[in-house]
Amino acid sequence: MFCLSELEDTVRVPPSDLNLPLEVAIKKALQKLFLDKVLSIGLCVSIYGIKSIEGGFVLPGDGAATYKVVFRIVVFRPFVGEVIAAKFKESDSNGLRLTLGFFEDVYVPAPLIPTPNRCEPDPYNRNQMRWVWKYGDDEFIIDDSCQQIKFRVENISYPPVPTERAEDAKPFAPMVVTGTIDDDGLGPVSWWEACAPISDDED
Amino acid sequence: MTSVKANAGALTNFEVLDLLNSRGASKDTTRVIASETVSRSEYKVYDYLMETAASTQTRDSVTKFSDKCKGFKLAKAEILNIINLRPSSDVELTPILEKPDEREIDIEGILALVQELLPPLPTVEAHKENEQEETEDGEQPNMETSV
Repeated sequence: MFCLSELEDTVRVPPSDLNLPLEVAIKKALQKLFLDKVLSIGLCVSIYGIKSIEGGFVLPGDGAATYKVVFRIVVFRPFVGEVIAAKFKESDSNGLRLTLGFFEDVYVPAPLIPTPNRCEPDPYNRNQMRWVWKYGDDEFIIDDSCQQIKFRVENISYPPVPTERAEDAKPFAPMVVTGTIDDDGLGPVSWWEACAPISDDED
Repeated sequence: MTSVKANAGALTNFEVLDLLNSRGASKDTTRVIASETVSRSEYKVYDYLMETAASTQTRDSVTKFSDKCKGFKLAKAEILNIINLRPSSDVELTPILEKPDEREIDIEGILALVQELLPPLPTVEAHKENEQEETEDGEQPNMETSV
């Protein structure tokens, strides 16, 4: 789910931070620049450490010092085929949306929900649709009550920043993970709790 | 900004949790305001990880497990997945593996190894104190809020 990435960048330390120890000041500037931002390599979660700092020049007309820094960051970048546990966020006619707390744009489109299924208007929440999986004679509902939902990553995409949008469109998601719950062991954890650990009682 | 190395190494959930812990993250409710070293978005990651298997793992158990996995012909990504998810049954392990039948993977063996080496998942209702050990030998768990 996470991996380390090594980057090099020019960092500008504002004059107000120059009384701090150098590493702390640079780390602060790096956090402001990278933390919680989506780069081409993924969502930056944390600064792991600084490898080298060079420079410290003050450019004319600017009170800040500029450094060339090589550092490592922890990025959230799931790989295709990874199984991740998430929580239910909302669902609509296109499919489900799951959240990881720190990352909320995990979508399970309708074709990747186990069939046969049906979508019905949610009786508790007028705007939402609810997905129900029909297995044999039982029906399993996918909604808020599911503690954890496991999904497998199918695809990660980084949609380009839109130039214009409709007024009521969803906030722009720079990184979208598409997942599937259509396989053994995937979907709400409660669906599989009946299977005994280690010994194979049912298939 | 240039990327020196886009992928300098994959991290297990445990390693990220360990990193946040060493910076001073903890479950205390006053922490979000008090902590200077851990930002709010890092806390969200911390909260997520505390609910997964990573919160009960130790560095020792994770290293031992990945060493022993070498005998099972698993891909690095699969070992990572297993450590992160800690499957306890056949049906939890199968979506992680790719074409297990063709590769003749010893599913029973892997599950037995998981059971033996990786600590069980944290209980969701009550976080027992004795289950939250993440210390390496000699390292102090940093559970105090930094003021």
